[in-house]
Order: sequence, then structure tokens, then C-alpha cells
Amino acid sequence: MNKIPTICPYCGCGCGLYLHVEDGNLTGVSPIRSHPVNKGTLCVKGWNSFEFIQHHERLKYPLIKVNGEFKRASWGEAIALIASKLTGIKRSYRPDSIAIMSSAKCTNEENYLMMKFARAVIGTNNIDHCARLCHSSTVGGLAETFGSGAMTNSISEIVSAKVLFVIGSNTTEQHPMIGMHMLDAVNRGAILIVADPRKTQISDFAHIHLRHRCGTDVVLLDSIMNVIINEGFVDIPFIRRRTENFDAFEKVILRYPPDVAEKITGVSSQDIKKAARIYAIEKRAMLFYSMGITQHITGVDNVHACANLCMLTAHIGQPMTGLNPLRGQNNVQGACDMGALPDVYSGYQKVSESDIKKKFEHLWRRRLPSRPGLTLTEMFDSILDGKIKAMYIMGENPLMSDPDVSHVKEALKKLEFLVVQDIFMSETAEFAHVVLPAATFAEKDGTFTNTERRVQKIRQAIEPVGESMPDWKIICALSKKMGYNMEYRATHEIMEEVALITPSYRGILHHRLDSNFGLQWPCHDLNHQGTPFLHRKKFTKGLGTFIPVDYIPPAEETDKRFPFLLTTGRIYFRYHTATMCQRTSTLEREYPECYAEINPKDADSLGIKGNSMMRVSSRRGSIIVRAQVTDKVPEGTIFIPFHFREASANLLTNPAVDPSAKIPEYKVCAVKIELVESKRDQKD
Amino acid sequence: MNKGMVLEKSKLSYWLRQLRKEMSLIGPMRGENSDIVFKTVENIHEIVLDCPASIPSPKEFLFPQKEKMFRYSKDGVENLRGNKGRLIFGVRSCDISAITLLDRFYGGKFVDDYYMSRRNNTIFISIGCNNPDITCFCIGLGSGPFLSSGFDIQLSDLGDRYLVEIGSKHGLEIIKDFIHLFSRPKKLDYDDQYEAILSSQARFEKRINLENARQKILSGQVNDSFWEVVAQRCFECGGCVYECPLCTCFNVIDRPYSPTDGVRLRVWDTCLFKGFTKMAGNIWPAEKKIMRTKRWYFHKLIYYPEQFGKFGCVGCGRCTITCPGRIDMATIASKIDMGDRRRKGGGG
Repeated sequence: MNKIPTICPYCGCGCGLYLHVEDGNLTGVSPIRSHPVNKGTLCVKGWNSFEFIQHHERLKYPLIKVNGEFKRASWGEAIALIASKLTGIKRSYRPDSIAIMSSAKCTNEENYLMMKFARAVIGTNNIDHCARLCHSSTVGGLAETFGSGAMTNSISEIVSAKVLFVIGSNTTEQHPMIGMHMLDAVNRGAILIVADPRKTQISDFAHIHLRHRCGTDVVLLDSIMNVIINEGFVDIPFIRRRTENFDAFEKVILRYPPDVAEKITGVSSQDIKKAARIYAIEKRAMLFYSMGITQHITGVDNVHACANLCMLTAHIGQPMTGLNPLRGQNNVQGACDMGALPDVYSGYQKVSESDIKKKFEHLWRRRLPSRPGLTLTEMFDSILDGKIKAMYIMGENPLMSDPDVSHVKEALKKLEFLVVQDIFMSETAEFAHVVLPAATFAEKDGTFTNTERRVQKIRQAIEPVGESMPDWKIICALSKKMGYNMEYRATHEIMEEVALITPSYRGILHHRLDSNFGLQWPCHDLNHQGTPFLHRKKFTKGLGTFIPVDYIPPAEETDKRFPFLLTTGRIYFRYHTATMCQRTSTLEREYPECYAEINPKDADSLGIKGNSMMRVSSRRGSIIVRAQVTDKVPEGTIFIPFHFREASANLLTNPAVDPSAKIPEYKVCAVKIELVESKRDQKD
Repeated sequence: MNKGMVLEKSKLSYWLRQLRKEMSLIGPMRGENSDIVFKTVENIHEIVLDCPASIPSPKEFLFPQKEKMFRYSKDGVENLRGNKGRLIFGVRSCDISAITLLDRFYGGKFVDDYYMSRRNNTIFISIGCNNPDITCFCIGLGSGPFLSSGFDIQLSDLGDRYLVEIGSKHGLEIIKDFIHLFSRPKKLDYDDQYEAILSSQARFEKRINLENARQKILSGQVNDSFWEVVAQRCFECGGCVYECPLCTCFNVIDRPYSPTDGVRLRVWDTCLFKGFTKMAGNIWPAEKKIMRTKRWYFHKLIYYPEQFGKFGCVGCGRCTITCPGRIDMATIASKIDMGDRRRKGGGG
């Protein structure tokens, strides 16, 4: 019996856990007690994170589709086929007709290699991953205001904060161990302000719960800033010394007094004033946000508004302050850091800057493309336009996760060649021409970067099941076959290359990550101890920029035909497209089927009772779900989690995207609801 | 049976090395940073004895989180129960008390073959706690810091030597071949042990009176508004049950490899999940969280004493460490006991 310390593969908290191994079998999990994030606790997903690893449905050998059916193949055959197909498509069209999806579930090393593969081997910048769907507005938005798109402060600071302002984050369910720190802070006297249209567990503990209408975050934040300016809580010396563009910003803010905001957001002006005063007066005030802010067509605007609020009150660049986007995937921070994005290399170095491109060209010894590539949401449109002919998807499941999935399905069908590399046969993999079996987090070494920028080591606990291989080995093999030699003996050699070329990771090498649970980037040299909070004394980009934001309504508003607002999200017992948790008995059992939360008043008017089935339709599709009548959702709004294959909420969602970040508006679309008369044959 | 022997500390590693030839040796080892985890001992000198509580409890060696029960195929059923010989060294007194109760639960009226098979092949060497953790409260429950019975072998750390007490047949077996390593105890040794016990008892930070809490519940002084607040803080992680040395719930699942063969597994389960009591026809008898959180405390504080005459808690303090909502047994029991006027559960 051995216990291997590693990092949880679920959310961005990055909790430490031990995998228990006996004779090559995983027998359990336990939390790391001295870990700074989870301190001996785990959420239900963490506690059960071992079960899917040796599940019998794991992909065990490569599969090649012959006449519409998958046939077992050897690695040699599969790699040779992919290499020749990709080379062929690259020659007969051009490199940009190939698109690559990297993965926020894979390690930093693998994401780095994938981005190297796309740029150096294929010769395209068409690489993206699911950060596009969750925090692309953060990455872009905060780069413009602060110069660095990551959580500014650390999780361990939360408990000592005096005010916690949580907007658009269901923290106790989606980042449970961060939620724990928040509740601890509340126990110690901190004031908690939650802004969320839904009632959530964390809002039960809020001193002020602002239930604004979905999609009106900008108005809410602007009016809070309006109060702060009008009542004189602005930190003038800070604004003079460290920021720019205040005047233009102030002009816009003056248009949003609380009584105007009350009409748009539905939040009483008294509550807005209270929240503004509490947040502004206290020095140790932390602002948190998550998908409720980012997944809108105004995602970047929302992020800018949050950043403005932090700068206005000088709640940044100090411990126990800051703007703290909570990242959703175990390594979504790392995948962004490693440059699995269409416009940047690792460390957010722009592909369009010729000095930087030259640096990478020297290191990789290949000519590199300089035009930014397609984003994930644009890729599927481009397939239908005929511009993209082949796609390589590593560890993602766009057929569940992307908005308007019928559109995605159509696109996948049209591809000349699709490779999916995953641990299970996902919905997307079924459309692939070649499926490659990848190893899970328990079967490989590497690093994950959690939401607080902490780069932590994961360690191999068992041998990969069947013939599956770690993603980095697959990429190396394929790359070699395509005539570009990638040779690394182990993952620490890849990290060495990352450190060499990435300023913020320069001091991050595997041997330094063994003690004290990793390092928080930026870490500039081998003696640097990491950075617990960003923007101390100076913003990463120099001066912080106020960017004025005006209210733009959601892309789709309710009307007579579609009178309800649909907002989507996750639930505690499930995770994303459920490839892992539906193979975990406890998690699967708790929520076996999809449901929709609907307010009692709305339910009454439609004749819907608890557990009755209802048809929810939008302009794009329709699903049947079980009603859960609850006042968790406000009147006129329904909530549906997006994890379920049988009733995929993303059949309904609107693919309208933020103009710059290209993040889809998952949080708002218009739907109609009809009661489905109960019949015996319906699924129980 | 409760014979005493004395073992010089310098002879411990030799003894363990000899025992390891017969069975696998598991002990408290350094994990990450200051963590202690029980795992197979590679280097005996790396065993850490004076240590904080390990997570999870040693019940994992008798009742693992995931256990293969049997494999089935056309040719029949192959029992996969564990029967490896194991010596588990350095277990705390509270955990031994818990295992004594587990033996009664799994070995009582309905014998659990899988548990008993492992149990009969496992020997525990426990050690009295000279330095209880800040989360410990076994002292109020008689389940520690030192035991007078129930153990196979109990060590008491007397500075340069251990007082070795033998409490069972199994215990005697692993000593009798190495009797030359031990010496007979003198009165001084027992005096020193008594001193160690007193000194340890004085170090407890927590004094939790579960009996008072039980009486308050039984006399109807704790109403649902209290449990409502407790439930509100529950994260539904299951950690308290997973870690508890006395929780015994499991779920049985089948993994069909093909239509004709597969494996049946059992995995830890908890009564805190609403699916735990789910019934056919989509009925969820304990859908409200308050029913489930309340039941956990009631099981430990009311039903356990009714069934076994003992609390379903040995005061190991693990739930204090692992509960993200801070509604662990120690916190809640003391709140009930204190008769918190505001009737608020959980937290600070």
C-alpha cells in the first residue's frame, strides 16, 4: 500500500490529495492535510476522484474508423495514419486548414507541446482550448487593464479578509475548498456580499445578497462605482499614481446612479449603496468572480467593470485584496499560461510581435506563422465555411460543452479528418476518424497550475491502463512521424524548455516544486520564491487602465414567444461534460438526470408541479427536463445544468459571442416552457 | 490477557524487521510536508511515531474505500476478498477502540466476510498518545489516550524504552518468538507509564461531553432550527463519513466487462448523500439536507449507544480536520452541550 501525493483533477482549486495504490490498483483517496488550499479537506468529487481511472470503459488502444465502425489499431498504424492525413491536408490546402484543441485537463507540459506541435509542426496558430468558454474574457480583459489575466491574490489570504464580494460565482459548489476559506472568513467576522440572480449555498451566508437580473452585471457594478465616487470613497492618491484614463471612465459612471440601476437590475438602490460603502471603506476587501461575469456577450465589459472597481478603491496590489477570477478546470490557468491560445505563445507572449516570434523560431528551428489563429468558437463556423478541413482534439468534448451543439455536430460531420485523444469514448470522439487513448492524471507526471497561479506537481501512481499513453508522449510520437523531432526523456525536460522561453515561469523547474506545494508564478529566477499577490507597487503593464463600460443588453432578450430567461451552469456532484463523473458511482447516483429550476410562481402559472416534465425550447432547439420548483431562481428565469447528454442544455444556448473574447453567452438566452403531459412511458 | 514487557527503543527496528519477513508492515510515514500517512514501510527508521492524526483512519486496511468483492463469469464466481497478512504499526488508541466496535458491527449477527477476512489477517501494534493533537477528545470517551484492553499490542513510550502490553492471542504470537529482545517490567516502568498517562491527559485541549449532548437531544431541547443551521453549512463532501473510523456504509456496484463477465465492487458511501436512500420509482426519502445531517449525529449520539452501549465516536478528531463547513462532531456536540442560546449550529 502506497500513497502518492498528487493534485485533484477536477476544479481549479488545485487541492492536494494522496492516491492510495495497492498492487497496481487504486483503492482510495485522502486529502493532504498540510496543503495550503484544502488543509485536509476535499469535496465529494475529490474524495471520489480515483474511481473513473481504472473504469472498464477506459479507452485502452487506438481506434481507427473503417466504414463507419471503429476498429482496433496499433499505435504505429494510428500515428502513421494521422501523420499522413495531416501532412496531406496541410499540403493540399494550407496549414491554416487544420485546427487544434488543446486541453485544460492536461498538464502544462502537454499543453506546451501541443502548442509547439500546432505552431512548429503544423504551422498554424489555430490552437485554442476550453478557456475560450470560461475565462477568455478574463484573460483578455485583465490584460488590457492590469497587464496580467490571472487571479491577483492567493487562496490562503481569504480567511484574513474583512470583506468578500462574490459576484457570479457559486463558490461553495464549484470551488468548494475556496468556499470553505470564505466561510471561515465569515466566521471570523468578515462581511460577505454576494451578487447572483440565483440563491446558492454561499448566498445563504451573505450579509447582502444582490439578486440582479441575468446579464445586468455592468449596470450593477457601474452603479456601485457611482456611489463610491459620489460619496467620496475614491482612493485619489492611488488613482493619480498608478492608473490612467480615470476622467473618461468617470463620465460614463455618472450615468449610472443607483435609482437608474434599480430599474434595470431589479436590485434596490439601498442595497447597492450598502454594498458600495461596505466594499469601499474596508481596506482588506477581496473581489471574486466566475462564470456569472465572463459568460456573456459583455464578458469583457463585465471583467473591466470589476477591474475598475478594484482600482477605484485601491483594492489591489496588497494582500487580502485584489480581483480574483476563479478558474474552473484543474489546469485551465496552466493551459492559458502555456499558450494554448490562438494569439499568444507561453507566458502570453504575442505571436504578432516579431521579436518574440523570432525567439521561438530560434528555439524551435522552424518558421512560425505570425497571424493570430481562430478561436474555438470560430473554428466550428470555419469548418462549415470550408476553411477548416481537419481537427485534432485533445481531451475536450465540444459536442457537450459548446453552445448550440447541433451546429457543432454538423461541423464535426463535415470534417475531412478528425482525431480525438481522450480517456473515454466521449460524445465528440464518436465522430472521430481516429481515437487515441490517453492516460489520466494518475498515470503520468507533470504539473498543473491552479487558479491562484500555483504550479504544482502531479505524480504517476499507476501504470497507464491498456495501451494508453500520456498525452505528451503521443504528441512527441506524432511529431516525430511528421518529421519534427521532439525528444524528451521525461516531463521535467519539457518544463526546462518552458522555463527557458517563458519569463513568468523562468524559475519554475520540477525539482523546485517538491517542497511547499509548488510555486506561484511569476517566478523570475531559480532563487525566486514565487508571487503570492500580483501588481505590488506597479501593475504588470505599468499603469492600470480604467476602461469605461456601458450597458449592453444580452444578445437575446425575452419576448412573447420566448418569455423566460434561461441561465446554465454546473452542479456540485457533476463536472462539465461528465466523462469522468458519470463513471463514478456516487456522483452519478446523486443526479442521475437533468432538471430545471423554476420559480414557484412561474410553475403555477404554467400548471407545472415538482417533478413534472417540461419541454424547454429556444430558437435553436428543445429538450425535455424534470421540473424542480424552487425559489432558488427568481421569477422569469430558469436554470438548467449543462452536464447531461440526454437533455443537453447546450442545445438551447445562444452561440452569440463577446466581440473580442469570443466567449459565448451561456448565461442568458430566451426560452419558452411547456408542460409535457405525464405518460406512463416517460423515464422515471 | 494483559502481560507487560519492556523493549529498549534501540531494539524496535530489529523486531519489526523480523516481523516484516512474515507479513507486510504498514506504519505512519512522512507524507507531504508535515503530513503523516499510513503506508507500506520501506525504511523502518523513517517511521514517525509521535505524530498528528493520520487521514483517513486505519479502517481503510480492513474496509478499503474501493474493494473488489468477486469476479463473475460463465465459469463461476471467484471470491476476491483480501487476506494478506499485515502488521499495522503505530496506530492510535482511539482507532483501536473504533476497530473493537467495528468488529462487533461487522462480526455480529450478520458476519461481513470481506471485513472479517482482512481482520483475521491483520495485527495492530498501537501506541499510547503522549502528545494528543489539538483536535483530539478521546479523553472524554474512554477511548484513549491509553487503553487497558482491546488492543493486540500496546506500546507506551517511556523515553528510552517502551512498555509493551500484550492484549490478545495475535499479540502474543508476534512476541513469543522474539522474547529474547524483551525484559520483564519493573514497578518503575509501570510508574513511568502512569506518569505518561497523567501528563498526556493534562494536555488535552478539548473536553467534549457527548453524554450531555445526548441527554439534551433526548430531552427534546434541540429543535430543528438548530439542525437547519447545521445543514446549511454542510458541503455534502462525505468527508466526515469517509474519515470516520466508525462509519461503515458502503455501496455495491457492478462493473460488467462484457455481457458474461465482470466484477462486483464495494465503495465507501455515506448517509449524507440523498442518493443513499433513493428508492425505486424516483423516491428520495431524505431529500432535505437537514434530515441527512441530523441523522448522522443521531446515529453517532443516539442509535449507537442504543445498539452497542457506546457512542459512535471515539474522539479521534478527524472530522474536525476534514469538515469544510466546520460542523464536525466536536463543534456541534459542544454547541449542544453549551446550550447555545441563539440555537445556532456550526462555525465560529
